[in-house]
Amino acid sequence: MTEPVATERISAAKLQHHVIYVSDLEKSKDFYMRLFDLQFSALNHPDSSAAMRLSHQEMHFFSFGFYHHDICLVKHHKLEMDNGSMMHFSLVARDGAAFDDIRRRADAMAVAARDGRMIASAKTAPGQRAFCVRDPDRHWIEITLEPKP
Amino acid sequence: MTAASYVPPNVLPPFLQRFAGLLKRQWFRELVLAVPTISRRRFSNKTEDYGVFKSSRIAGIGQLSIYVQDIARSRSWYESLAGLRHSRTCEEEPHPFKQGWRIRCCYMSASEHEECLVLVEERDPDGKVTVPSGMSFFHMAFELQGNRLEDVMAFADQAKRAGFKRNYGPVRHNGEPPLGDGETGGNVACYFYDPDYNNVEFCGAMDTIENYRARYGETRGSARA
Repeated sequence: MTEPVATERISAAKLQHHVIYVSDLEKSKDFYMRLFDLQFSALNHPDSSAAMRLSHQEMHFFSFGFYHHDICLVKHHKLEMDNGSMMHFSLVARDGAAFDDIRRRADAMAVAARDGRMIASAKTAPGQRAFCVRDPDRHWIEITLEPKP
Repeated sequence: MTAASYVPPNVLPPFLQRFAGLLKRQWFRELVLAVPTISRRRFSNKTEDYGVFKSSRIAGIGQLSIYVQDIARSRSWYESLAGLRHSRTCEEEPHPFKQGWRIRCCYMSASEHEECLVLVEERDPDGKVTVPSGMSFFHMAFELQGNRLEDVMAFADQAKRAGFKRNYGPVRHNGEPPLGDGETGGNVACYFYDPDYNNVEFCGAMDTIENYRARYGETRGSARA
C-alpha cells in the first residue's frame, strides 16, 4: 500500500479586495474617487454581465494602482443595503503626504473626520496615525499611515 | 427573528448554487443576456480604462471588522478553512459609535497580513448579541498563498476534502474557457459562506497593471471592445 503524498496546506495570505454595498453608485463613486484617487477599472452591469443580471446587481470596480480591483461598489437593484454586517474597514495611505492630502480633501468635502483608530483595542504602533470618516452610506472607513519599518 | 433561522436575503439558495457553474458556459451567458442583446442595450463587459496608469493615495486594505454571532464558531471556521491564525481576543469594550452598546473583538491574522480581520460580537444595551444582516458588503476576498491558478484550484480541493461547501467557483473572472465566467479582473476564485452568511472569496492570479500592459500595451479597453 502506498503512503498518501503529503501536500502543504494552502492558507490565506492577505486580505486583498473588498466589495461593499452602496445605495447610490454615482454618489459613492464620486466620494471614493475624490477622496482617495481610486481608479475606476471596470463596470459589470445587468446589460453586460450574466452574473449581474441574474443577481440583480451592478458592480463598479476600483484599483489602488496595482491590482485590477481592490474596492468594488455594488448596487443591489432589488434589496436595500444597511450597516448591519460590517463595523468598518481600513485603508492604508501610500505615504505621509497621501495621508495628509486625504485629510485635507475630507475637510474640503465637508466629510466629518474622527481622529484615532476605529476600535479602541486595535494595535497602535509608535508613529502610526489614523482617522476615520463615513462614506455616503455611513460605512465607516479608517485611514491609517503605517510607520516605516 | 432568531439567530439560527436568519438567512440574509442576498444569500444564493442551495438549489441555485448547483446551477451557478453554468456561468462558465458561453451559451448560458448569451441566453441570460438575450434581452439586452436583442434590445441593443447590451454593452461590453470588458474593462474600459484599466490600467489607468496612475496610482491612488491608498496602498492597500488594512483591516476589516465584521459582525458575528459567536466568536468561537467564526474563529474556528476562519482557522479551519482559511488557515487564519488567532492573534488575540479582547475583553468587552464600548462600541465605537453606538452609545450604550458594547463589542468584543477577536483579531485574526493571515500569513502575510497581521490582524487583517476582526470578528466582532456586538451587544445591544440589554446585552443581547445582534444578528448580522448580511447586507453591508457583497463579499470580502483573501488572496491565497502562491497566488496562482493552481493554488486556488488546490485550495478548493483542500476545502472540499475538509467538508466545506462552496457557494460558487472555482471560476476565473474573465471570458476564457474552461473556467471563465464572463466577469472581469482575471482572478481565479472560489466562494464560501461563513457561519453568519458573510460571503468570503479566496482568490489568486488577479490581473495587474503589469500583466495588462504586457498583453495590451497602452491600448485602453475602450479601444479593444
